[in-house]
Amino acid sequence: MPANADSQGDSGQADSPVDSIVGTADDGIVRELGHDDFDPVGTLVLVLIYMAILIGMWVFMYFVEFLGRGLTVVG
Amino acid sequence: MATASGGSEFVDKFPDEAAIIKASFLIAFVSLGIGAFFGLIQALHRTNVLRVIDSADYYTLLTGHGVLLAIVFTIFFLCGVFHWAVARSLDRPAESALFSWAWVGLMTTGTVLATVAILGGLVPNLGMSADVLFTFYAPLQAHPIFYIGLAMFIVGTWLSGADWFLSYRAWRQDHPDERIPLQTFMVLTTMIMWYISTLGVAVSVVFFLIPWSLGLIESVNPLLTRTLFWYFGHPIVYFWLMPAYLLWYTVLPKLAGGRLFSDPLARVVFLLFLLLSTPVGIHHQYLDPGIAEGFKFIAMTNTMFLLLPSLLTAFTVVASVEHGARQRGGEGYLRWLGALPWRDPAFTGMALAGAMFAAGGFSGMINAGMNINYLIHNTLWVPGHFHLTVGTAVALTMMAGSYWLVPQVTGTKLYSRPIGLLQVIMWFVGMVFMSNAMHRAGLAGIPRRTAEPQYQNFEFLTPIGSIFELRVQIALGGTLLFLSVVLFLFNILLTSLGEESDRPVDSYLPEPLSGPEGSPRILDNLAMWTGIAAVLVVLAYTLPLAGIIQNGGGLFGGGLPVPATVSAGFDLVMTTVTSAFNTLWGVVA
Repeated sequence: MPANADSQGDSGQADSPVDSIVGTADDGIVRELGHDDFDPVGTLVLVLIYMAILIGMWVFMYFVEFLGRGLTVVG
Repeated sequence: MATASGGSEFVDKFPDEAAIIKASFLIAFVSLGIGAFFGLIQALHRTNVLRVIDSADYYTLLTGHGVLLAIVFTIFFLCGVFHWAVARSLDRPAESALFSWAWVGLMTTGTVLATVAILGGLVPNLGMSADVLFTFYAPLQAHPIFYIGLAMFIVGTWLSGADWFLSYRAWRQDHPDERIPLQTFMVLTTMIMWYISTLGVAVSVVFFLIPWSLGLIESVNPLLTRTLFWYFGHPIVYFWLMPAYLLWYTVLPKLAGGRLFSDPLARVVFLLFLLLSTPVGIHHQYLDPGIAEGFKFIAMTNTMFLLLPSLLTAFTVVASVEHGARQRGGEGYLRWLGALPWRDPAFTGMALAGAMFAAGGFSGMINAGMNINYLIHNTLWVPGHFHLTVGTAVALTMMAGSYWLVPQVTGTKLYSRPIGLLQVIMWFVGMVFMSNAMHRAGLAGIPRRTAEPQYQNFEFLTPIGSIFELRVQIALGGTLLFLSVVLFLFNILLTSLGEESDRPVDSYLPEPLSGPEGSPRILDNLAMWTGIAAVLVVLAYTLPLAGIIQNGGGLFGGGLPVPATVSAGFDLVMTTVTSAFNTLWGVVA
C-alpha cells in the first residue's frame, strides 16, 4: 500500500498533483494497522448511537400514534 | 479480493470492456438527466410552486421519472460496474466483445421503445401512452411498445449476466482450486437473485400484459399481475442496492485509506440477499383483499430477516472505514471521523449515502410491519422511504462511485474535485429536505401518486410544523436535487472530454484484513445456494398464487378479488396434486 504522508499538508488541502485525483487517501496513511491491531470500538459507538435513535423513535411513535388516539388498530 | 496493482490502468488493460462500460454509463447518465428533470417538474407541480404541465400529464412524467431513474439509470450503471468488477477481479477480458455489445444493444433498444411509449403520452395525437407508473401492473394498461421494450430490456440483463458467468466459467477452468474473487462472487450471487426474481415479471409481461395490450386476450387477473410484479418488485430493490454494496465493500474502504474488515462476512451478506430477497414481495400487498392474512404474515416475517444482512453490512462497512481513519491517524471513540478524507467526493458521497441508508432502514422497518404499514400505506411516506434508499443510498453511491470509476474507463482525470464535492453535498442536503418532508407529510395522510394532493373540505394537520412548510421543503429539495444532477453531468462530461493522463485515478484496491481463506468453501457453492433460494420461493409463493388464481377467476379472470383465506390456495394445490397423483396412479396401475 502506498504510504506517502509527506505529500499532504496538515490542512488536507491539495498541495501536490497526486492529491488532485480521486482515491488518494492511501497517501495520508501514517501507520499500518493489521487485523490483530485493529479494534473497531468507534463502530460500536456509532452502532449504539443508531440503536438509541431507533429505540427513541419507536417510543415516540408509540406515544404519538397509539396512546394519543386510543386502540384504533384493535377496535 | 484480487487486486489490480498500479501501473496499467483499466482502460489500457481492457479497452473493449472499458468501451462497454462507457456505453452503459452514457445511457445511465442520459436517463438520469431526463428522469431528474421530470422529478423537478413533479416536485414543483405537486407543491403548487410552478405548474408548466396539465395535471393529467403528471402521470406521464411520474412514469418517466420512475422508469428512467429506478430501472434504466440504476441497471445500466449496474451493468457498467459489474462488467468492470468481473474483468478487474478475474483479471481477464470478457469471452466475446460481440456478445457484450449484444446485451448493451438489446437493453438500449428496449429502453428507447419503453421511453418512446411513455413520452407518447405527452402527444395526444400519437395514440400512444404508458401512464402506468413504475409499478406497471393491471388494471392500468400501456401501449404494447412499452411492455415489449421492457421485455427486451430484461432479456438484455439476462444476457449480461450470462456474459459474466461465461467469464467466470473460463476463469474457473484456469483456476480450479481458487476461491471466487470477492467482486465476482458479488456479481454472480446478485445475478442469480435477478434470474430468480425476474421470472415473475417476465411471466406477467409476456403471458398477460403484452397479449392484453395487443387485444389478444380480453382481460387479465389484476391481482395476479400485481403479485407477479411485486415478486420482482422487491428483489429489484436489492438489484439496485447490490452494486452500491459492491462499491461500499470493495472501494469505500480503499477511499477511506483502509482495508475491508472481513471478506467472509461480505460473502455471507450477499448469500443472505440471494436467499431472502425474493420471498418477501407480498409485503407490498398488505392492503390487497385477495391475499390471505396468513401469507402476509409470512411475508412480513421473511422481510424482517432481511434486516440481518443490512445490519451486518452496517457493521462491516463502518468498521472498514474506521480502519482507514485510524490508519490516517484518527483517535478516540468518535474523533476518528475527522481523519477521513472528506474532501474526496467519491468518499464523501458514498459515506453520506450510507448515512442516509441508515435512516431509510428505519422507515423500511415501518413499511415492513404489517399493522404499522396501514398508517402510511399509499401516503407520501412511501416515496420518502425510497428516495432515501434508491434515491440516495443507491443513486448517490453511483454518482460518487463515478468520480472514481469514470477516470478508469476514460483514462482522463476527474474535471473538478471541488465541484464533485459540492454536488454530493447538495444531493445530501436536497434529499434531507425532500425525504424529511415526504415522511412527515405521509404521517399527516397526504397521498402519493397524485398531482392534486388535496381533498375538498378537508385539511391535513401536522403535529409539528405546517403543510405549507412541508411543501416548501419538497420544492426546495427537488430543486437542489436537480441542480446536483446538472453539476454531476457537467463534471462527468468535461471529465470524459479531458486529456488522457498517466495516472487518472488511484485504482489500487488493498486486500481485506480478513481474507476468504478463513471462511468455509461451501460459501462458494453457488449451485447449492441457488437451489435453496428456489425452494424458499416455492414455499413462499405456491399457496398465495394458487389462492389468487382461484379467487380472482382463474389466470385470465377479470373479476374483482375477494377476501381470501389460507385454505383457498391450499384447496387448489391439494386438488391439483390429488388429480395429478390419480392420473399417475391410473397410468401405473
